[in-house]
Amino acid sequence: MGSNIKIRFRILLYLLLIILIVIALRLYFLQVMSGNLYAELATQNITREKTVPASRGDIYDRNGKLLVKSVPVKAVAVQPYVVIDNEEVMGILSDRLDIPYSQLKEKLKKANVSYIERVIIKQNIDKAEMTYIEENSSKLPGVEVIDIYLRQYNYGVLASHILGHIGEIDETRLKSEEYKNNYEGGDLIGWGGVEEVYESILRGRKGKVIYEVDPLGRPVSVLDKTEPLKGSDLYLTIDIDLQRAVEEILYQSILEVRQKKISNTNEYYNVPGGAVVVLSADNGQILAMASYPTYSQELFTGGISKKDMDYLEDPENQYPQINRAVSPYPPGSIIKIVPAYAGLAEGLITESSRINCAGIWLGLGKDYPKKCWQSYGHGSLNLVGAIKNSCDIYFYNVGLALYNKNNNIDELLQKYLRIFGFGSLTGSGLPEEYSGRVPDKEWKEDYFKEQEGYNIWFPGDTVNMAIGQGDLLVTPLQMAQAFSIIANRGIKYTPHLCKEIIDSEGTVLTDESVVSFEDLNLNENFIGTIEKGLLEVLAPGGTGYSAFSDFPLSSISVAAKTGTAEFFGKQDYGWFASYAPAGNPEYVVVAMLEEGGSGGSNVGPLVKNIYKYLFDIK
Amino acid sequence: MRGKNLDTLNDYSKDKKILRFDFLLFFLVIAISSFGLLIIYSATRETMPGGVSDPAYYLKRQAIYLMVGVFLCIAIQFINYRAIKRYWWLFFAAGIFLLLSVLIFGFEVNGCKSWIDLKFTTLQPSEFSKIFMVISIAAIMSKWRSEKVCQVTFKKVAISLVIALSFMAFVLLEPDYGTALIYFCVYIGMLFLSGANFLYILLILGAAVGGVIFALNSGLIKQYQLDRILVFLKPDAQPTEGSGYSLYQSKLAIGSGGLTGKGLFLGKQTNLNYVPEHHTDFIFSVIGEELGFLGAIIIIIILGVIVWRCFYIASNSSDNFAMLLSSGVGLIILTQMTINIGMTIGIMPIIGIPLPFLSSGGSSLISIMIGIGLVENVSVWREVRKEHEIAYQDLK
Repeated sequence: MGSNIKIRFRILLYLLLIILIVIALRLYFLQVMSGNLYAELATQNITREKTVPASRGDIYDRNGKLLVKSVPVKAVAVQPYVVIDNEEVMGILSDRLDIPYSQLKEKLKKANVSYIERVIIKQNIDKAEMTYIEENSSKLPGVEVIDIYLRQYNYGVLASHILGHIGEIDETRLKSEEYKNNYEGGDLIGWGGVEEVYESILRGRKGKVIYEVDPLGRPVSVLDKTEPLKGSDLYLTIDIDLQRAVEEILYQSILEVRQKKISNTNEYYNVPGGAVVVLSADNGQILAMASYPTYSQELFTGGISKKDMDYLEDPENQYPQINRAVSPYPPGSIIKIVPAYAGLAEGLITESSRINCAGIWLGLGKDYPKKCWQSYGHGSLNLVGAIKNSCDIYFYNVGLALYNKNNNIDELLQKYLRIFGFGSLTGSGLPEEYSGRVPDKEWKEDYFKEQEGYNIWFPGDTVNMAIGQGDLLVTPLQMAQAFSIIANRGIKYTPHLCKEIIDSEGTVLTDESVVSFEDLNLNENFIGTIEKGLLEVLAPGGTGYSAFSDFPLSSISVAAKTGTAEFFGKQDYGWFASYAPAGNPEYVVVAMLEEGGSGGSNVGPLVKNIYKYLFDIK
Repeated sequence: MRGKNLDTLNDYSKDKKILRFDFLLFFLVIAISSFGLLIIYSATRETMPGGVSDPAYYLKRQAIYLMVGVFLCIAIQFINYRAIKRYWWLFFAAGIFLLLSVLIFGFEVNGCKSWIDLKFTTLQPSEFSKIFMVISIAAIMSKWRSEKVCQVTFKKVAISLVIALSFMAFVLLEPDYGTALIYFCVYIGMLFLSGANFLYILLILGAAVGGVIFALNSGLIKQYQLDRILVFLKPDAQPTEGSGYSLYQSKLAIGSGGLTGKGLFLGKQTNLNYVPEHHTDFIFSVIGEELGFLGAIIIIIILGVIVWRCFYIASNSSDNFAMLLSSGVGLIILTQMTINIGMTIGIMPIIGIPLPFLSSGGSSLISIMIGIGLVENVSVWREVRKEHEIAYQDLK
């Protein structure tokens, strides 16, 4: 063998050595230098995490009657970014789950654009659908069957506005500070009512399973498991039997008023909607709260259909999802308790000071005559008489006096309206609640800033507001709170719906607002005077007399005020606010009928019937 | 280039061929193959590829192949390699026949028609033909009967090229580009060791490059096939499917093994079937994951020593045929281990070829055991000359 060959062998041996060294270096890089990184990547590669939904807390009424219950069902969830471009999977899903292809595509596209990782495409699937998806999981990447909890409503549509419903979390919420840390796409959350208010209490804590999967994503073994924790149960202040009675009375009254013609015309009252609030007078508990028209939360169970959604959103149907008890309306005369107190407190009137009502009032000058609702006038009236007869001219004077004091720099009427709780949320927590509106200089300047000359606060604005007209807006719940302030001689309770919270282990976690109240330090004598007037409202000659003529007022004295608010372009809105028994109040009842006409004659009977139920009078 | 120790040994071992049997090589081969059984068991006991129901199915099968291989390896020692040289054309014909029959009777796996079903087992002829090509090339490039001393002529190079090309052509028709590449590397290596002029080697290499470019341009090799092979050049490519997926999973397996590995039988990447072909082409991933850096280094050192031993025996052989035969087998092991291991760690193209001694599969193991048998044969049947003969030759 020549030396040439020897060299060639040596070259080959060097080559072998180089190859071994290169491989060794590469292995050193992969395993020793990047070992931890690859170990982490490998773990991510193999392990998956899945949340296990917790059963939502149940909802009971104040007497422990089960209103809303959690029921476990199966649902189909998909990962939009995996499924959306897979025509075959989309086809199978649309076909098997009976979802229109375009609708499915739309939903996934929307979720995909917002990087939502999981959406539920069908809730409450049947056995056949579940079996099919589970058996064909290898054909359906990104599709899974998950457990979810739906709601069962034991009392049907009763109290639907109070309870709210549950639905899939939407994109906005998923990205919001409040929700983003604890929720994932496809989660069912409370929408409206106490379901939303007490979401954090009802939801419980999700469980978690960490498991290993094979390359097809099939679970192989469970590494770690945390059991879900059922949400706390919620005991409402609502009495479901009373709620039923109130809803029925409201509905019947509306039907009756619709039979009536507006006086001197051929037109019937429309009464498209109405609301009633019943408060427990001495603690602010909401015993019943009704809003008409109503809707069934069951429409949302398992995902609402397009048809049902269209129904709920059609103006023809008066938006049944709106909770009218916490929506803003012009109050009309029932607001007069506030200027009455303001006038007394500011020393502008006394219990005995009298004003003559001639049916017409020229307090704003000859060019701006204002009328009383009673066109021939009430004659000479003191405050009690003015409340009893709901005399507008008496309160025009009060309003003007409040305006004139210190040139309206303090905006006194607004100040007292705010003291009585108007213009701000009551603290019930209901997401649907409006704060209403107490208009003032600042508001007007801003609201009419486009209209030169209109954006100045005129004395007439205060005068109008003193009889509940103009831009003032209040909710029935606010009105109930204001009347409870009178009933309690200046103690302002926060209206609330939660009586008790009991967690899954049986521990009672009482809600804070149960004892939430504020002493407004009002003058009891002034309130006493106002109450005298309110008691006179139902006495012979009072604006509510006819409605309560067959009610035993001698044993149960009812303090009340009627209101008939004018609404531009619509029929009058009728109000009736009250509490009973006066002196030792138990209940505050406020009712309002949209386009229901006179508060005294049309809304009064409704409230009377509620009192009959409350005091068990046949 | 005979070492001094061998000369002195020759005096004592004149007729004791058994002492000339290379026990180090044999021991290493048995050790690494037995270790291969363990790794194959680890790789298949959980996943049971191919839908078998016995966790030890691949272990048992591989053990039988190993026994057959060891038997053949020893049996070959009873034939003098010179007889093999004389009847080299028989092996050439057998190799071509095997490759031809696979084109006719073979069945496809992963788009390559490289398997023949023999009913009781399956056969991959290209594995055996590799050895037959080595025999044929060694015979052509060594001393012809017409020559006094061995010369590397143009004629020899040309004939060897025709032989190598005919083997490669059949393999390319399957088409099994990976195996063809091994054939080519082994041929070039043997040509190099035969002492052929560098010009010839450069010309052949140039022609090969030209051929590949032509195949690409003419569409014989599709772009996607090339992309699949060269995916290792793009380490950040989407590791969702195909060869990029295999590479990503393999790197995860090996990398996550760390310094000492996750322990035998405890490799999750492989046991959960994340690395495809983990008992065959990607067996090294299992080693890397379960035995870590230290285990992998031991394995490549053993493979390196085996290759070195083949070259050592070649360089101490009696004639050019023996030298080329033994180094040809060494080259097969060297190229396959380089490409296979390089593939699993992302520094070589993704080419489906087995890792010698370790990958599950009968054809690969048995043919490489035959190869080792031939190397041992070269050692055993080495010509033993007396001192005076050496002196006489030197005088000449």
